Formats: sequence, C-alpha cells, structure tokens
Amino acid sequence: MSESMTCLERVNAALELREPDRVPTFDVMEEYANIYKIIEKKPIPLGFLFSNKFTAAVIDRAAPLINMTGVMDREMDKFSHDRTAASVKLGYDATWVMHVPIWRFHDSRTATDIYGRAYDVVFDKEGNMGTPMFREGLITSPADWYAWDKRAILKWPERTNRAFKAIIDDMGDQIFVMAGFLFGLFENTWQPMGFERFSVALRRDKDFIKRVIKFYEDHFCMMLEAWADAGVPGAVYTDDQAFRSGPMINPRLMKELYGDSFCRITETAHKLGMKIIVHSCGRVYDLLEWWADCGFDGVHALEPTAGVELARVKEMVGDRMCLIGNMDITHILVDASKEEVFEAVRKSIADAGKGGGYMIAPTNSHPDISLERLGWMLEATETYGHYPLEIKADA
Amino acid sequence: MGEQLEALNKAMVELDLDAIAPLVEKALEEGEAPVDVLGAMCQGMTGVGALFEKGEYYLADLVLAGEGMKEGLAVLEPRLEAGALGGKGTVVLCTVKGDIHDIGKNLVATMLSSSGFEVVDLGVDVPEAQIVEAVRANGAKAVGLSVLLTSMVQSIADVVKALEAAGLRDQVKIAIGGACTTDALAEKMGVDAIGRDAVEAVRIFEGFCA
Repeated sequence: MSESMTCLERVNAALELREPDRVPTFDVMEEYANIYKIIEKKPIPLGFLFSNKFTAAVIDRAAPLINMTGVMDREMDKFSHDRTAASVKLGYDATWVMHVPIWRFHDSRTATDIYGRAYDVVFDKEGNMGTPMFREGLITSPADWYAWDKRAILKWPERTNRAFKAIIDDMGDQIFVMAGFLFGLFENTWQPMGFERFSVALRRDKDFIKRVIKFYEDHFCMMLEAWADAGVPGAVYTDDQAFRSGPMINPRLMKELYGDSFCRITETAHKLGMKIIVHSCGRVYDLLEWWADCGFDGVHALEPTAGVELARVKEMVGDRMCLIGNMDITHILVDASKEEVFEAVRKSIADAGKGGGYMIAPTNSHPDISLERLGWMLEATETYGHYPLEIKADA
Repeated sequence: MGEQLEALNKAMVELDLDAIAPLVEKALEEGEAPVDVLGAMCQGMTGVGALFEKGEYYLADLVLAGEGMKEGLAVLEPRLEAGALGGKGTVVLCTVKGDIHDIGKNLVATMLSSSGFEVVDLGVDVPEAQIVEAVRANGAKAVGLSVLLTSMVQSIADVVKALEAAGLRDQVKIAIGGACTTDALAEKMGVDAIGRDAVEAVRIFEGFCA
C-alpha cells in the first residue's frame, strides 16, 4: 500500500491526534544482543571482560581508573547511536533513544549510578551487558543527599547534546527520535533512598522530598534544552509511577508533589518545539487523566500484564493523549505464533486506532523479545494500520 | 476494646506513625494485656489492607503501615509471651534466584507477620536449595516466591522441581507474586496460587495453612 507521509509527518500526526496515513510504529528496544544482531556488528564483549576471572580481577582493582577514563560513558554514547541505527534498519517510524552514561563501577560485580543507587552488574544470555539490577538506595538521610556529588548530573546535558547531535545529523530525517534518559522525578526521589525510607519521608519530611523533586525538575528542563538544541523532535519522560496493582503512592499526593514539575517539563518541551510523552509501567488508570492535564502529548507502555486495556484507555484519554504500546512482551513478542501476533496488532489498532492517536509499540524492552515477532508486528501494522481503517473496534 | 486500644487501632489505620509507639507504651502502662495490644495493632493492619483493596490506600501506605507495625512491635515484643506471634503457621518467603527486587516481598512479609504467620524471609536472589532447606528446617506449610523480572520466571519452576526432588512438594503449597506473574504462568510453573498484592497474599496463605 502506498504511503503519503514521511515517518516524521506520520508520528507528528499521531501525537497531535490527527489521522496519519498509517498507524506509526515506535521502537523501545534497549537490549545489546538484538540491536547488534540487527546492525550486524559485534559489541565490545563486556560480559566476557566482567565475568572472566582474569579480566574481572583487573577490573576489581582498576574500577576507579575505568570510571575516570570515561570509557563506559563513551560506550553509552555509541550504544545510543547504534540502537537508533537498529530502529532505522527495522523500518520503525519513531524510536525512543535512551542515553544513559550514569554507571560507575565499584568492581566487576557491582556499580552505583550518579544519583545514589547501588546495582548488581548483569549480563544477558549471550554475555552482553544488560541494564544493571537495582539493589538498594545509598541515600539514607537528607544529609546524604545534600552531600552527594552531583557534578556528573550537572555535566550531563552537555554530553547528551553532543550524543544526540550525532544521532540527528546521521539519522534525523529517517526516523522520529524521542530522547530519553534514566530517571524521572518520581523514580529519582524514591529509588536512591529506597521505597521504605521514601514512604516514611513522605510522612515525616515532605519538604526534603520537595527539595529533591525541584532539583530533578531543573535537571530535566536542562536536558530538554540540550535535546532541542541538538534538533531532537520529541522526548520521553521515563518514570515508572505504578505497580501492577496501581499507583505506588496516592495519586492525590503524586499531584501535590509532582504536578507543578510535570507541567513545567511539558511546557518547556512545547516551548522548545518538542513533543513529550510519558512512560510508566504498571496499572496506570488512576494517573492517565492527570498526565493529560499536565500536558503530555502521549503515554507509553499500557501494559496488558498489569491489566491495562487499550479500549478503556482510548475511552478515558484517547481524545487528549496519543496512546503508545500495549504489545505484550511476556508472550506475544516472545513466543507467540504469527497468527497470534497479527491478531494482537489487529486488536490494538481496532481498540485504539480510530481517528489517529495510536502508535504500535512493545510495552518495554526485554532480552527475550524475538526479532522475528517484531518483524511480524511491523508487517501486521502494514496490513491493518492504513487509514481509513478497515477494521472496526471489537464489540 | 479499651480507649487506648481503640486509639492504637485508629493510629494504625490512619498511618499516624508518630503516635503508634507511645500509644503501645500507654496501653501497657494502663494494664492492657500485651496480646490485646498486639490484637489492636493487627486489627489496624487489617483495616489498612481493606482500604488498600478498596483503592483508598496505595503501596506507600502499606509500607507505612508496616513501619508503624515495626515501631509498635519494638515496644511490645519484649512483653509478649513466646508463641504470641506466628500462630497461623510458617511461610518461607523470598525473591527467586537471579532477581533482587524486594518491595513486594517485604510487604508480603510484613502483612503476613502482622496477620499471625511466622515468616522465614530468605531475602533476595535465593537459590532453590536454600528454599528446600528452609522448608525442611522450619516445617513450613507454604512458600511464597516473588519475581519481578520476566527473564527469571524459570527460577520458579526450579524451586518446584527442587521441592519435588526433596520429597517436600506434597507438604507445601506454593504461591507466586510480582510484576511478571500471571495465571497462565502459575499454571505453567506448577504452583498453587498467584497473589496480585500483599493483601491478597494473606488470604492465600490463610487458605494454605488452614
């Protein structure tokens, strides 16, 4: 079928809740193994280096030096570029490009990030480095937070500007880039102190929590300016605010604590000419209308495993935000048959595609996602996703 | 219920952290039996659970209730007779091998303890052999496995197999919970139940240990 829009026009139309020529596709892949398979390159064998007993022993001793040389940060710059290239090669319309030069290694098994989280270093089945696994927060008191060295956080906008300039120069006309980083304001307030400590601080020291939020609000706005300067057309506000049973804290308290910050972030993005969507895992029904009030152009994840039904979300906020995601990554994109993948895409488009304002996307990145099934997802979008839609919403 | 116990129950339900420990002290000073003080706190936790199920309380509120319970028990526990806690049975609880997420698991542990279970919390990233040993050593009737990461679900099947191999599967029931768990996964892994949240977990384990 012929396509009359460029990928940039198509994604813009969907984000502006207009009908594009076809339902756009949105890539969220962050896994080394699949990305390097797609672009047919060999990644640096980090897994081997960290798990081999001889090289691991070197890393155990030389970790501070490795951090100082910035070699891992440069690897993150390169990875963001490579994962964009993978999205282009697969033929996606839009891609969520994370740029996260935040890890600092203690030794071959553990790391911290620049915000105050401790992690275990992990690798996938093929020995590639995976997203480090959060173990605990290192900020045990307001004094810890005030004393935390924040220089790397403050230097990041300049670094991300350089990384995204290269991406946009090379591929900005081939795909709609949505920049992102870890972490959003909610995750950055609770994770470095741990959820138990955070919950108690909400009750006993709310002013401290507000101070932390304000710091990260300012930081996020600086990142937006850096992206806009690089020519990035969109941003993802990445911040898991819900669990599988619902929001992690009372939505009233979320609004009180984070509402003004979210509004400033979306206003800043819009003033800079960027679109901005919010990503959160979990059962997000109680947050959707508030996010729309805050000015987000779209919402991503909409996890079926958390009980999120696309038709219900469309009814709730489909006239205010573009819906993105809902493709299951526990079965459909992992081990389902081609018929199942096609049916999942057909149903998603039937439930959310009417009038525009929907983009097909996996709910998250995961090492078990099958490239073959991603291909089927894209093929099915070609089959069912052209406007005017020929499929109707399911009864 | 006496005035102090009413106030304690109310403080628990309203998550008034600063009031709980002083109210426990006061109730004991005024001659309330420690076991009744514990009862008032547990009743408060049940109230918190009910509000969570109604959608009025959220995850952070369950955590706060757990903190309140801990602060109250710090005062109360030295005064309780042996066996006052944990009468409903023993549950072995952990996050499975390869996964280190513990918020949900900790909440389940708190809710079970305050509902009268003895909880053997093995922590996170726990190999199946350690679970088998804990079941055997504690005569547990139930095992709770938490898993957040889809990539680690196979660890659930490993636990089931290890309990079967040790000849313990018939004496324990297994429940799973966590972001990636589904009814289909529970069936595939051969476990007995799936809990959507910490409040539902209490009901499941009450059923297991009845």
